[in-house]
Amino acid sequence: MSTAPRRQRPYWTALVLPLALYLVVFLVIPFIHIVVLSFYTHSPTRIWTPELTTANYVGLADASFLTVLLRTLRLGLFSTLICVLFGYPLAYFLARAQRRVALIGLFFLVMPLMVSAVIRTFGWLVILGRNGLVNGAITALGLERLPLLYNETAVVIGLANVFVPFMVLPLMASIERINPALEEAARNLGASWPATFRRVILPLSRPGLISGCLLVYSAAISAFVVPMLMGGARVRVIGRQIYDQLLISYQWPNASAIATLLVIATTSLAFVVLALMRRSARQEQGA
Amino acid sequence: MNRQMPALLKPFVMLTYVLLLAPLAIVIAVSFGASPTYQFPPTELSLKWYRGFFGNPEFVRAFFSVSLVLGFLAAVFASLLGVTAAIGLVRFRFRGREALEAFFLAPLFIPEILFGAALYLTYARLGIKPSMTSLLLGHVVVCAPFVIRNVMAGLVGLDPRLEEAAMSLGASRVQAFMKVALPLIQSSIISGFIFAFIISFSDINLALFIAGPNSTTLPVYIFNLLLFEGDPSVAAASTLQIVIVGLLIWLVQFLFRPRALL
Repeated sequence: MSTAPRRQRPYWTALVLPLALYLVVFLVIPFIHIVVLSFYTHSPTRIWTPELTTANYVGLADASFLTVLLRTLRLGLFSTLICVLFGYPLAYFLARAQRRVALIGLFFLVMPLMVSAVIRTFGWLVILGRNGLVNGAITALGLERLPLLYNETAVVIGLANVFVPFMVLPLMASIERINPALEEAARNLGASWPATFRRVILPLSRPGLISGCLLVYSAAISAFVVPMLMGGARVRVIGRQIYDQLLISYQWPNASAIATLLVIATTSLAFVVLALMRRSARQEQGA
Repeated sequence: MNRQMPALLKPFVMLTYVLLLAPLAIVIAVSFGASPTYQFPPTELSLKWYRGFFGNPEFVRAFFSVSLVLGFLAAVFASLLGVTAAIGLVRFRFRGREALEAFFLAPLFIPEILFGAALYLTYARLGIKPSMTSLLLGHVVVCAPFVIRNVMAGLVGLDPRLEEAAMSLGASRVQAFMKVALPLIQSSIISGFIFAFIISFSDINLALFIAGPNSTTLPVYIFNLLLFEGDPSVAAASTLQIVIVGLLIWLVQFLFRPRALL
């Protein structure tokens, strides 16, 4: 690549050390602290006492938490599937579009991603609310209002909408790397569009697809704002559970145990994403 | 357009964009309506919710004194830490370089709600009261990866012969970097800075945990009002957010052409 290896005095430590130290203090230590706290004993009077116990983890195996856990994983799965359904065609379109079209398309994909999730959810509240757009149309037709908000479907709609760019961006990068000549060759040899997609594009874009799915899934199972605003009290998810136990009921050791499990789940997903990205970057360099 | 694309692709992509942008468009439309409920489409146009927004000192404070200031400071500190780290990662080869890069980018992959919870508990244990500073310290962590990505992309694309030429003409290595490379990666640094600002400006998950009563950010204030069904001045505030973020992304994309968006 561009920079030749230089063996000199280790200037690099002076450059990377400030951020590394900063992250140790403000990222690593807080997460170690959460793991430690998850083994402390809950105390109704002092919040926690430093007596080690595994009760916080054992206690998670009860029906009410498992319901919340399964619901969270299910909502994550459904929103990921919807993101694939809408995200794949969009990613393909952007990857193969002319430069100008792609730039405009990318702008309208990244812009919503960067606007606060609260605001995008707000829009859905107006669309799906009791007096919202959809119910307005329904009542204008003389029909009964539908309860569109505060159920799992609403949360899935919200999550999929908020996280679809996480699916499109890695997928797009993957599809861009596929030589269009391969598609043309398949077509010239008589393959139909579906066959070309299934036998050429889909297999070659798999790293991007997997990265996209893992990013969306990991964001969806740890979401808080969307389930809170669109699901209300009925659709409790893990993110809500952690928030309530920390800030409302002060069950810190318990919340730490849930958070620790969620950290393990999401960082393992992230490792897979990183490994996939590295591999496809290397393949490109090799090509 | 590629004529090999199936006929249904384009309409489906349009539909996806409609669904993606509809929530934002509707918030903007509601903010210009006159109805005290979130009415769409608005039956008459009015600016009264903007007057409502600017007439509410808490809103003005959350927007101007907290969110804008916080975003700017977070971007400054994230850029200082991120630019130096990116230079170290690209310009030097050392053992564990890839692992260090993964460590620096880790905040991108850690759900913000968990990071918020972790910081909240650490501050509580150390007796640090939630304030703008405590929130700023957290924002720098999540903003820095965006600076690193942009600056690394800029540095990798730079021809090393430019600096070698400067050095053969008598510049020291540091001089060659400062006078040749740095001006050339200026646009990457600026787009990293802008992304860092936006991440802090739009953040809700960290702020919900570690913002204090005097450091309520605009997204948190909007969130609270939505929970209790406030009037459409929430829509006016949201519209201002959308416009600011939209302009900044447009600026980055059309002026600097960033190579690292996510």
